[in-house]
Amino acid sequence: MSDRTDALLDRWGRAPGGSANAPFRAAYRNWFRVEWEGIEHVPRRGGGLIVANHAGLVPVDGGIIALGVEEETGRSVYALAHHGFWRFPFLGELLERIGAVTGHPENAHRLLAEDKSFVLVFPEGSKGPVKPPSQRYQLQRFGRGGFVETAMRAGVPIIPIAVMGSEDATPLLKTFRLAGQDVPLTLNMLLFGPLLGMLLQFPVKIRCRVLPPVHFDEPPNLDHYPRSLLMDRAEAIRGDLQRALDDMLLRRKSIWGG
Amino acid sequence: MRNVLVSSAASPLGRRLLEHLRGREGLGRIVGIGSGPSPERIAGVELVRFEGAHGELVELLRAHEIDTVIHCGLAPDRNGSRAEPSEAGVIDTMRLGSAIGSEGSLVRAWIVASSTDVYPVTSRAPRLQREDGSPLAGSGGAAGAGLGVGLGIGSGDETRLASLLEAEDYVRDVAARAPHLNVAILRLQQLVGEGVRSPMAALLGQPVMPRVLGFDAPIQMLALDDAVRALAFAAEVELAGVYNVSSSGTIRLRDAIRVLERRALPILPLEAGLLTPLARRLGVPHVPGGMLGPLRFGNAVDTSKLAAAGFHPEYDQAACLASLHG
Repeated sequence: MSDRTDALLDRWGRAPGGSANAPFRAAYRNWFRVEWEGIEHVPRRGGGLIVANHAGLVPVDGGIIALGVEEETGRSVYALAHHGFWRFPFLGELLERIGAVTGHPENAHRLLAEDKSFVLVFPEGSKGPVKPPSQRYQLQRFGRGGFVETAMRAGVPIIPIAVMGSEDATPLLKTFRLAGQDVPLTLNMLLFGPLLGMLLQFPVKIRCRVLPPVHFDEPPNLDHYPRSLLMDRAEAIRGDLQRALDDMLLRRKSIWGG
Repeated sequence: MRNVLVSSAASPLGRRLLEHLRGREGLGRIVGIGSGPSPERIAGVELVRFEGAHGELVELLRAHEIDTVIHCGLAPDRNGSRAEPSEAGVIDTMRLGSAIGSEGSLVRAWIVASSTDVYPVTSRAPRLQREDGSPLAGSGGAAGAGLGVGLGIGSGDETRLASLLEAEDYVRDVAARAPHLNVAILRLQQLVGEGVRSPMAALLGQPVMPRVLGFDAPIQMLALDDAVRALAFAAEVELAGVYNVSSSGTIRLRDAIRVLERRALPILPLEAGLLTPLARRLGVPHVPGGMLGPLRFGNAVDTSKLAAAGFHPEYDQAACLASLHG
């Protein structure tokens, strides 16, 4: 974080290239050996809200999706993250540099409608990274359909992406209750110790499948969208994603080789 | 011909506004009122020392046939810390409002210079605050402020915020009761410029600049000239409603420090509380009260509503910094 690069940050604090730094590129190619299907579904112009399944104690799925989409289309992906991370020194700055933005609906709207960027959101939220092994590749509750409202209001399609492999990179063994906090224990932490185990992920094969974009007929910028409509659309997208994950899981021959 | 009255004529904002208005066409009388010691004379401007009696104010408006009032009493342009309660500012606002709304008043435009301090500065806030984003919602700040004020243990910050919100509420009440009166609330971003002692100016005026370790959010300031032009614009077009005002763009403190060619002193992100006034007195680098939040989470506002109404600032953030030297 040299002072020299500050002036190059965009208005969201993103450094040029976002997550596409050399170490992460190397992990993307050589460690996770990421492969894409259906990348042609990613629109080449206009904004788009990307939704995906979420996993990992220190999730890499966001960076992987951003890097893949950016390499393919040359366009930036911003990921919505919980505002709580911004309360810690250095963490907020670091997250912004790789393309994260606090998950306020107004931020998402500006990115989609004004900047015509891609915005990535994980509707499972924080429930994703703490999935027990029995729930792997089973999508958790999809919020209250807020992500559908965000897309409708901005007049952009939703682009669902199913990620296979990420949910095996840090298998959760157990969650302890410690001083009022849920403290997860992963297999990585058991093998490599708490600190290294947090960061070191198993070299699983990661595949991403882009589903056809979902367009909405509702006009943008309405004051109100019916709650039931939002829930219906959210559930339909969740169903599509779940079917894609089931199919990919069935086709997968091994965790390591895909 | 419009006849304009400017309150807080002795403040940096009020004084600059009067000087600006003097040179404009289409204006008749220009009257400045203030409660403090009489300021220096400005040619072409009638300065009236005003001690605050209601009848006196009504008479003043009528005698000068005032149709436009610009109220500068709420803008944080005088004290180096925004912690100083603006109790007087609120009472002045109420007095002005009741005189403007009184029977037989000729006033048809009331412009109130408020402050973007009404927005919560937390990690929860959006990157750019809009006028309709509910002030202090979700920050716990409003409830906290209310409780603190009620118990008399609120920090100066909370007191000032509560005062501002109260004053804005009152202004909206006046607007609702007087349908022929156009009332505009201009929420001014942190002011910088000649004579201005806002928290931002106090931060940037230090020879060794403190910055908060691990944080460098985009911050925003408003050049005094832009503020004055915005107020004059609002009066001219008889603007109504709430508008954010800022010089364009944002800047990060690290960039600002580089532009100003100062040395930086990283400090821990802790509220220094009682130590801040001490540090200020001793000349030790410190973050002025109310500036810790902006430096951690940013204070930028969306000015597109005022832009759509036809006002565009002349300064960007770099020009604001340059104006600090002048």
